[in-house]
Amino acid sequence: MLRFIVRRLLLLIPILLGLSILVFAWIRALPGSVAQSQLGERATPALIKQINHQYGLDKPLPVQYWDYLKSLVSGNLGTSISSFRPVTYELGHRFPATIELALGAMAFAIALGIPLGFMAAKKYGSWFDQTSLVASLLGISIPIFVLGIILKYIFAVRLHWLPSIGREDILAVRPHPTNFYILDAIINADPGALWDAIKHLILPSIALGSIPLAIVMRITRASVLDVQHEDYVRTARAKGLPPGEVDRRHVLRNALLPISTIIGLQTGLLLSGAVLTETVFDWPGVGSWLTTAIANRDYPVLQGGILFLAIVFVLVNLVVDISYAIINPRIRLS
Amino acid sequence: MSVAEIEAVDIQLEGAPSGLWREAWSRLRRNPVAIIGFCLVAFFVLVAILAPLIARYNPNPAHPDLAQVSPGHAPGPSAAHWLGLDLNGRDEWARLIYGTRFSLLIGFVAASSGLSIGLVLGSIAGYAGGLVDTIIMRCMDIMLAIPGLLLAIGIVAMLGPGLWQIMVAVGITNVPIFARLLRGSVLAQRDQDFVLAARAIGVRRRGILFSHILPNAISPVIVQGTLAMATAIIDVAGLGFLGLGPQDPSTPEWGTMLTQVNQYLQSDPLLAIAPGVAIVLAVLGFNLIGDGLREALDPKLRGRV
Repeated sequence: MLRFIVRRLLLLIPILLGLSILVFAWIRALPGSVAQSQLGERATPALIKQINHQYGLDKPLPVQYWDYLKSLVSGNLGTSISSFRPVTYELGHRFPATIELALGAMAFAIALGIPLGFMAAKKYGSWFDQTSLVASLLGISIPIFVLGIILKYIFAVRLHWLPSIGREDILAVRPHPTNFYILDAIINADPGALWDAIKHLILPSIALGSIPLAIVMRITRASVLDVQHEDYVRTARAKGLPPGEVDRRHVLRNALLPISTIIGLQTGLLLSGAVLTETVFDWPGVGSWLTTAIANRDYPVLQGGILFLAIVFVLVNLVVDISYAIINPRIRLS
Repeated sequence: MSVAEIEAVDIQLEGAPSGLWREAWSRLRRNPVAIIGFCLVAFFVLVAILAPLIARYNPNPAHPDLAQVSPGHAPGPSAAHWLGLDLNGRDEWARLIYGTRFSLLIGFVAASSGLSIGLVLGSIAGYAGGLVDTIIMRCMDIMLAIPGLLLAIGIVAMLGPGLWQIMVAVGITNVPIFARLLRGSVLAQRDQDFVLAARAIGVRRRGILFSHILPNAISPVIVQGTLAMATAIIDVAGLGFLGLGPQDPSTPEWGTMLTQVNQYLQSDPLLAIAPGVAIVLAVLGFNLIGDGLREALDPKLRGRV
C-alpha cells in the first residue's frame, strides 16, 4: 500500500511541473502587457520600463520561470492588480465559498442520486425506471447556467422564497473566522445566520448539483443492477436474511464502490461549473473572481487562481485513487 | 423433422453473418430513444438551413424597433413578434432561429476539430508506444489536470473573446479526451491476431494503423464524438454567457443571448427561457443519439438484434 501511494505521489511531480510551465507560458502569451493594463493612457516608455522592472519582466524567460517557481514554492502567488491585495489572501476568502458551494452541490447529488438510482434498479424496466433514465439524460443536457437562471426566476423572482444572489443578507454584519459561513454560524451559535447561509446556498447547490445528480443516479442504477445478481447476494437471500438487510449490507455496500470513484471524479466538473454558477448567483467564490479577472486583465489573479484550482483538482484525484485502492484490494495488487 | 432439418432451419434463421455496422444500425432503428434524438437533431439542422424562411424578420435589422423598448424593459410576445423584442429592439424569434446556425456550427467545428487532433495524437501514441507515447500522454495528462471550462476560459483569455476563439478553445479541451480514448482502443487492438497477420504478410506500419487498427478502434470514438458535440454546445453557450463569445452584438448566439439576463429576468423572462430551452433540446438530441449509439455499438450485445 505504501509503495502504491509513494508511486502515485512521485507521478504527481512531473504533472505539477508541467502545469506550472503551462500556466507560466500562457500568462506570457496573453495579449496586452501588465504595464499597459496598469498605466492605461498614462503609459510612457520610462514608466513601462519601471513597471516591467518592478515585476521582473525585463529578465530572461528562464530566469523569470525560476523566480516564479521559487515564489510558488514559498506560497507567494503575487498581488492582484485590481484590488492590490495578495492573491493568497483573496484565495483564503474566496476558496471557502467555492468549497461550500461544491459540498452543497455534492450533498444534493448524493442525497437524491443514490436512493433514486437504487429504486430505479430495484424496479428495473418499470415506468419509474424509464422516467428516471429520461430525467437523468435531461439532467445532463441542461447547462448549469440555464438551470440557474430558471431556478432564480421561479424561486427568487416569482415566489420570493429564496434569495437570488450572494452568500448572506447584504445588510448583515457578522464575524467570519473561517469564511465557511455555515461553519461560522455554528461557531458563533447564531441560528439566524445559519438559516440565512443555508437559504443562500440552496439554489446555487441545486444548479451546480444537477449534472452530478444525474451521473450518480445512473451509476448507482447500473452498479446495483450488476451486484444484485451476484452469488453472495443469492446466498444472503437463501439463508433467509430479511430483504432490507440484504439490500443494505450486501447490495448497496458493494454497489457503492464504483459510485465513490465517480463522486471523486466529479470534482473537475464542480470546479468548472462553479465558474458559471457563481456568475449566475453572484457567489463570491473563486469562479466569479476569475471571470472578473479576465475582464480586468488581472494576470496574477488568473495565474494563481487557475494554478490553484488545477492543483486542487489533481490532489483530489490522487485522494480518490488512493482511497479507491484502500477500499478495493484488486487495484492495489495490480 | 430430423435433427439435420432443425439445424438447417436454425441456420436459415440466423441468416447471413452481418457486420458490426449493419447489426448496430438495425439495433439503433429499434431504439425509440435514439430515434427521438435523431428527430431532434434533424429538426435543428432543418431550422438552421431554412432559417430565412422561418425567421419572419431580420435578426439584425438596420433600424431596430427601439421605440418599443426602454432600459430594462422589453415588450413581451405579440402576434407580430412571437417571442417579443429583445432589449435592443430586435425580434427574439428571428434571433433564436438564426442562433441555431451559429450554435450548431460552433459546436460541430469545436467537437470535430478536437476529435481529429485527438484521433491523430492518440493513435500515434498507442501504435508507436515507448517514448513517443510517454511524451504525448504526459502532455495530455497536464491538459486534463485543468478542469475543462477553466482551460477553455484560459485559452479565450489568451486569444481574446470571439466566435472562432471559442471554437478553438472548446476544440482544444476535447483533444486529450479523444487522445486517451483512441490510445486505449488502439492498444487493445494492437496485439490482436489480425494485426499480427497483417504484419506477417508485410503490410506497412501506416497501412496497418489506418486500414486495420483504426476501423476496429473507432466505435467508442463515434459514441464519444456525439456526446462531445452535446458538451461542445453547452461549453460554447457557457463561454458566450460569460461574455467571452462573439463580441459583435449582432451575432445571435444562444449563450450570448443570455449574457444580460439579469436586466430582463424580472420584466420579460421569455427572453431568458427561449434560448435556454433551445440549448437544452439541441443538447438532449445529441445525448440521446450518443446513448443509443453506445448501446448499438456495444460488442457485448452483438447478435441480440
